Amino acid sequence: MKQQQINKESETTGAMLRHIRIRNRKNYLFKALIIGATVMCTLPLLFILFYIFRQGITAINWQFFTSLPKPVGETGGGISNAIVGSILILLLSCVMAIPFGVGIGIYLSESPKSRLSYYGRLSVDVLQGIPSIVIGIIIYQWVVRPMGGFSAFSGSVALALMMLPSIVKSTEETLKLLPESLKEASLALGVPYYKTIMKVIVPTGLSGILTGVILSISRVIGETAPLLFTAFGNPFMSTDIFKPISSLPLIIFNYATSPYHDWHQLAWGASLILIVIILILNIISKIVQRKWKVQF
Amino acid sequence: MALTKWNQKLTPLDNELQQLKQEIISMGHLVLTQLQKAQEALEDMDRDLAREVILTEKRVNAFELKIDRDCENILALFAPVAIDLRFVLAMLKINTNLERTGDIAEGIAKFIVDTKDGFDSALLELTRTTEMYLQANEMVLDVMNALEREDTLLARKVFKKDDLLDEINKNAASLAGKYIKENPEKTESALYILSVIRKLERVGDQAKNMAEEIIFYSEAMILKHEKKSRKKNEGEKEDGN
Amino acid sequence: MESTILKTRNFNAFYGENHVLKNINIDIDKNSVWAIMGPSGCGKTTFIRCINRMHELTPNAHVQGSMQLAEEEVYEMNPVLLRRKVGMVFQRPNPFPTMSIYENVIAGYSLNGIKLNRKEKDEIVETSLQRAALWNEVKDTLHKKGSFLSGGQQQRLCIARALSMNPEILLLDEATSALDPISTAKIEELIYELSTQFTIMMVTHNMQQAARVSNKTAFFYLGELIEADATKTIFTNPKNEKTQDYIRGHFG
Repeated sequence: MKQQQINKESETTGAMLRHIRIRNRKNYLFKALIIGATVMCTLPLLFILFYIFRQGITAINWQFFTSLPKPVGETGGGISNAIVGSILILLLSCVMAIPFGVGIGIYLSESPKSRLSYYGRLSVDVLQGIPSIVIGIIIYQWVVRPMGGFSAFSGSVALALMMLPSIVKSTEETLKLLPESLKEASLALGVPYYKTIMKVIVPTGLSGILTGVILSISRVIGETAPLLFTAFGNPFMSTDIFKPISSLPLIIFNYATSPYHDWHQLAWGASLILIVIILILNIISKIVQRKWKVQF
Repeated sequence: MALTKWNQKLTPLDNELQQLKQEIISMGHLVLTQLQKAQEALEDMDRDLAREVILTEKRVNAFELKIDRDCENILALFAPVAIDLRFVLAMLKINTNLERTGDIAEGIAKFIVDTKDGFDSALLELTRTTEMYLQANEMVLDVMNALEREDTLLARKVFKKDDLLDEINKNAASLAGKYIKENPEKTESALYILSVIRKLERVGDQAKNMAEEIIFYSEAMILKHEKKSRKKNEGEKEDGN
Repeated sequence: MESTILKTRNFNAFYGENHVLKNINIDIDKNSVWAIMGPSGCGKTTFIRCINRMHELTPNAHVQGSMQLAEEEVYEMNPVLLRRKVGMVFQRPNPFPTMSIYENVIAGYSLNGIKLNRKEKDEIVETSLQRAALWNEVKDTLHKKGSFLSGGQQQRLCIARALSMNPEILLLDEATSALDPISTAKIEELIYELSTQFTIMMVTHNMQQAARVSNKTAFFYLGELIEADATKTIFTNPKNEKTQDYIRGHFG
């Protein structure tokens, strides 16, 4: 009797062991698939970066950063005006977009259920979906034409509109995650509502808001289509915001579509610079998030 | 505990309190039995019965110790409040009262064992000892019933019954004195009977104390040291007399 | 004769159609510690939040009746000014995470734009932290962030922050519910000492705490004030049967 029992037990144990082995293999296979998929996604990125680096590095030298583009035929030349132009346009866009974006984000997180919230959120979502070229055309109609010409200012307006949705979203999400008790603590001290928002809530959520701003910058820094109709481009160095101005994506567009090999080189160089800037911005945003994040 | 409404569930504390009450009532009935046996022994001069009473006193003491411990545990573990707290404190005191009453019964039984001659039934009747004894036992029974049923009216009646005990006690000395003059050879037993009467008077006191405790915990009214007339009046008023 | 610091007459509170507090009449005397007790949903938290008008943060909240703080009608005062006279400490410790311990304590002044010189600030910080029995533990790390303190210390920091404004009444909304027994005991000791200078009202679920710490107790049930009396009386001989049922643990 006992022997039978032992046999039966070892049978079932054997079956269990086989089952476990099969399960382990399936687990392993699944993990391999997932890791494989991830690697396949990262590989193209690495290839692109590597290729751009290889193409563009030959164009990079001190002159590249400091001199203006030379006319056709002359070697050398640089993208100094494009760098200055990009910076100027972005600065202006930030000045326009950040107050609005953060303000809207604050409102949406404070009154999430109101009617205005609903329509506001809807509008922001729609805005995010509008193609960049359409924004370019609209700003052309509304800003460039009345102003009588292309300008850095109109370019900034276009880019600001594109930055708005992501600033609003990240502000709203950050502030929503803050516990109600924080606001209550401040209000219970007799701090008026607006001061509570400005001096307690926003500073506490600063890392999230800042991250959102940095990421939105990194996204619009490479937008070309809107700038075609607004900033237009300028072969010379200009810091006048009411005149046309050059910028990195514009210069890449112009040079890459030209028939001259020299200019192609410059385009690669500018592309490399652009990619590097975007990479740096992303790294900065990660650092900001980690260092300044307030844990609850 | 009756003060829990029928539709409320019993908490662990309620269970402990119920058990405590049962223990006190059991002890009370034991003490009452002691008193009754001692009385029987007195009437019949039954020394064997008296010895039984003396032996049984150990059980009474054991009860007292257990109830003391149980009260302590309840206070430590449950930190009862309001009526529950008053109840535990009342049971602690009644515990002591019952223990003393048990001592009294033992004392009476010891007289029976010690006395050589026995007691003259004529004297017993003259001094109304038997009547007093029966009344005292009734008072103890009333108190136990009042506790069981949480009947404060019944508890108040005990005060009135004490009147009889007082009356008999007051007259006892002079009656005994007269008897001793007429029957000097029976002096010893007369003195014993006087002692029994004094002891029964104390039984009455213990019963009254217990009644006060019952009223205290039920109504949070403290009646101690109040004038006798007031207590009686309250008993009478509610009686509808 | 104690003077009354808070008086309510026929005070009612509503959240929209919901009648949460019904005809509350209570007199809170100065320098006493009041425990506000009752089962969940009885309105005790709503009641203290009405005192500093924090319940107005909920939409559709409105009140009826009179509530006077030191003879002034609470509902005719500017809520911001009112809240500077009434301190509140919440269930979860909530020091401001971006501020240091020092800055947290004087937050009531700095956030309100009240200018103080360095000496005044130092004095207020030290006094408040001493009153909150936290000074010795943090006097060398005042410039570290408040979030590095333990739960019990954070809560004492919040108490110091509330005390720095010298409020007329200090409201504690289950302030020790989220703390371990030792921190709780420290804060209870604190309450005892504070009561000589401040009037304290504490909402608590813990009846033992109410019995230990308070000298007056109010029992709320379903929005009504059932009984308000000396704590000793409530716990030995309450006048209302509902109160007795509650403290014996027969409901709630």
